[in-house]
Amino acid sequence: MLLTLIRRELLDNLMTFRFAAAVFITLLLVVANTVVLLKDYEQRLTAYNTATQESHQRLRKQKTYSYYIGGLVAHRPPNPLSIFNLGLDKQVGNKINVHHGFVPTIWDAEKHRSDNPFLNLFTSIDIALVFQGILSLLALIFAYDALAGERERGTLRLVLSHPIRRGDILFAKYISAMLCLLVPLLISLFLCVILLTTSIAISLNAGDFLRIGGIVLTSLLYVSLFYLLGMLISAVTRRTGTALMLAMFVWGFLVLVYPNLILTAVEITPQPEAQASAYNQIKQMWEEFDRENKQFLRNDAVLGPLSRNGEGWGFYVEGGEYTWGISEDKPSILLYFYQTGFYAGKIGAESEPQVPLLRNYYRFYNKETLNTVQRTWLVRKPALEAIYVQPAHLGRRLLKFSPVGLYDSATETWAGTDLAGIQDFFSAVQRYRSTVLDYFDDEKIFESRQWFAADHGTADWDALPQFSFQRSGVDVNAKRALPDLFLLLMINLSLFTIIFLIFVRSEV
Amino acid sequence: MWHIAKREIYDNLNSLRFALATVLLLGLMLTNAVVYLREHPKQIQEYQKGVAEYQNRLANYASDSLYKLAEQGPGNLYKKPSPLHFCAEGGEAFLSRYAQGSYHRWGAGTLESFWILAYPSTNPNLYNIRPNVTKVDWGFIIGYVLSLIALLFTFDTISSEREHGTLRLMLANSIPRHTVLIGKFLGALISITIPFTLAVLMNLLVISTSNDVHLGIEAWGRLGIIYFIALLYTCLFLGLGLLVSSRAQRSAVSLVVLLLIWTTLVVFMPSTLASIANGLSSSPMSYDEFRKRSSQLEDELDELWDKYYVLSDDTPEDVREKIRLGGEIVTRDAEQQERLHDEKLNQQISQMNRARAITRISPVTIFQHLLESFAGTGFERHLQFLGNIKSHAQQFRVFIAEIDQADPESLHIFGVREGMSEKPVNPGAIPKFEDTRSLNKDFNAAAVDLLLLILFFVVLLSGAYLAFVRAEV
Repeated sequence: MLLTLIRRELLDNLMTFRFAAAVFITLLLVVANTVVLLKDYEQRLTAYNTATQESHQRLRKQKTYSYYIGGLVAHRPPNPLSIFNLGLDKQVGNKINVHHGFVPTIWDAEKHRSDNPFLNLFTSIDIALVFQGILSLLALIFAYDALAGERERGTLRLVLSHPIRRGDILFAKYISAMLCLLVPLLISLFLCVILLTTSIAISLNAGDFLRIGGIVLTSLLYVSLFYLLGMLISAVTRRTGTALMLAMFVWGFLVLVYPNLILTAVEITPQPEAQASAYNQIKQMWEEFDRENKQFLRNDAVLGPLSRNGEGWGFYVEGGEYTWGISEDKPSILLYFYQTGFYAGKIGAESEPQVPLLRNYYRFYNKETLNTVQRTWLVRKPALEAIYVQPAHLGRRLLKFSPVGLYDSATETWAGTDLAGIQDFFSAVQRYRSTVLDYFDDEKIFESRQWFAADHGTADWDALPQFSFQRSGVDVNAKRALPDLFLLLMINLSLFTIIFLIFVRSEV
Repeated sequence: MWHIAKREIYDNLNSLRFALATVLLLGLMLTNAVVYLREHPKQIQEYQKGVAEYQNRLANYASDSLYKLAEQGPGNLYKKPSPLHFCAEGGEAFLSRYAQGSYHRWGAGTLESFWILAYPSTNPNLYNIRPNVTKVDWGFIIGYVLSLIALLFTFDTISSEREHGTLRLMLANSIPRHTVLIGKFLGALISITIPFTLAVLMNLLVISTSNDVHLGIEAWGRLGIIYFIALLYTCLFLGLGLLVSSRAQRSAVSLVVLLLIWTTLVVFMPSTLASIANGLSSSPMSYDEFRKRSSQLEDELDELWDKYYVLSDDTPEDVREKIRLGGEIVTRDAEQQERLHDEKLNQQISQMNRARAITRISPVTIFQHLLESFAGTGFERHLQFLGNIKSHAQQFRVFIAEIDQADPESLHIFGVREGMSEKPVNPGAIPKFEDTRSLNKDFNAAAVDLLLLILFFVVLLSGAYLAFVRAEV
């Protein structure tokens, strides 16, 4: 009996105009956007490849190790699944310096140069956004007359005169509508994946297909939620006209109005001024570093007197070709550091006796830098967390009061373009930095002659540990997406229960 | 006709959709006003800080010498924030708040490069890890929400009467069909205008009672224009609703069709079209190419530099020749580089203009462009600002030349300290940059969009008329 009901509902739904229109529109939007997004991805990938190669070559041209400050760069590859949900993949930095002067974070990264900054004015779109808008709308369109329509036409009375349980009717309606809604979802995703596989720029592995599976599952829960919402409206209203009107307003509110309204209304812009004391603290630590550095030079019997201004700063070395300095002072991201040094192509015979002293000085200088960075990081990390991460989390939590927010966050997590996925990269960069520093420590590079001079052997860049980044495994994505999926599922179940209760007790 | 319109209005006033629309619009408009009052003072403060810096800097260099002023340039020139940015936010965060009138590139002992105009870009997203949303401004409220409401008010005007059989009854009387259509159109328009006007008035009430904001007479005029454009835009969707409604046999079908058209046209088309347009059009000069061209231009001056360095300071002829050569190097370099910067900017602008032209297929984009033009935000406004900057730079250079001419001790050779007047300049006499807007210019920029919007409306309404006249009852 249940099967008969499902078959009837299915035929009813499949042969309608709305179904044909739904499939057509979804396919059109998904295919058009996939083509556009694919092209964008290819461009970003090219930019990534060029930039990686360029920095690789630039570093190899250098002869002294100290050049790694500013010369050693880690690049973030674009995520191929960003086509499904762009998330933060495109907007945060994808190029970051790795050296001992600071601990790299998201906010220190820069972006590969864009040719036209004006293009940022256009909003970007992704597959999740298309599904978010279209599928929810379709679900509501399928659901609004499920109960109210039958009641109006009197067919409900007819069906119930047979020995069928009311729960079965609900279940049959739900299953058949979901089957219908699956059609546009699956066909469009199928086309999308075919387009992806034809591109040479993208190679999807087994993990990626599982992630896409996760996105399908999330979409299914999302669509089901909206279908049940429509059914609930249909169960409580007497007339289809009212049900439709109410459903559309609910859709407009949940999908269009609420997400934008809540994030406009609640202030979640970062307030770096609130952490000014942390910034001052960091600055003081570096000033202390400066004092100790000068103290060291002043107390040194040879380097001290060689200093240019008697202040114990900037000694003179025969053969020193140029001095360099690199400094950052960005209060908004609490970044403050500076490093100086010099480069000597060939150290003159006159200065040769100073070399051991110089090496000793650089050992001190670099060790002291590392200490200062460690100390400032203890202040900087929680401050950055308070300025940027907490408001962002608050915003995401507020969004989750609408199913749209849940869906967006879950698909983002599956694709790995969410905050946690991006932070994975920066954790990898931080680990890489430690590896490089360990290597420098083991090989005593900070106190080597090659740190500043190129006459007795040059820097061996090939022996330097290489940076590589692997996106986290599917299990990690699944674990991160689980809370949102669970919430979606719970809402689905409770909606179904409510509809059941209302329908069982309602008069026909 | 009025009879039909009145009946429609009474019908609507008592309906659920009217109540829901009123609540939704009021809530959105009030939020918009409150957020504006929170953000506007900050913007003004930032702008005033920038202007104060600019004036201090000018006074500083002016008191040094004319040469210093001519070398350093006018400094950072700030864009005046529009008091109407609650109407259209216009992506201002992605547009630079200032132009650099002080871009300094090199110093070579005795010679210093002269200032040129440069256009910094902003990238606010770099530090932004928040979820991205559209700001709730009038553009969003009207462009998205009100257009949806317009469809919800019209999708059943004709099809439901047909369903109920009342259409047949009405047409049995001696009413011409176009009267019925116009009556229904007016009825829907008035019933939407009521909650919309209410919401707009509440919004403006909250904003104008605040002490931080002073809307001048021009601002009110602009608001009036914006209000009428909003109504025109709403009419467009009413026309669409009537068109589909008169073709569809059942109201449910009519709504489904309308919603699918609406999502495609309003929600998805603007961004998809922009991306497609960008993919098709040639991309502007890349950063690497720009740098290469820039250094090529510098290399062209090598010959002059060689001559410059050969000259000694011994004979007065040599000194004079050196001053002349130095002046030539500096002025030619500044001219070339500024032209290159301009070329890059123009290429970017023309790519952007092409993309914007293509997105005009979607009425919501047309509407948002119009709103931005009249609210004084967004890309069009940025172009006006850049125009102002360029004419100010011109004015500044003319001023320097005039003052230099007036000094009898000066050799009138630009680009070198020895060749120019070294007297301090009266800071009050320097032309100050004033970022002005004129309603006239805004109208010119908006004319095409306005015409397109009207065209859309006329096409849709006549389509609705034809469909209704030929429809079977």
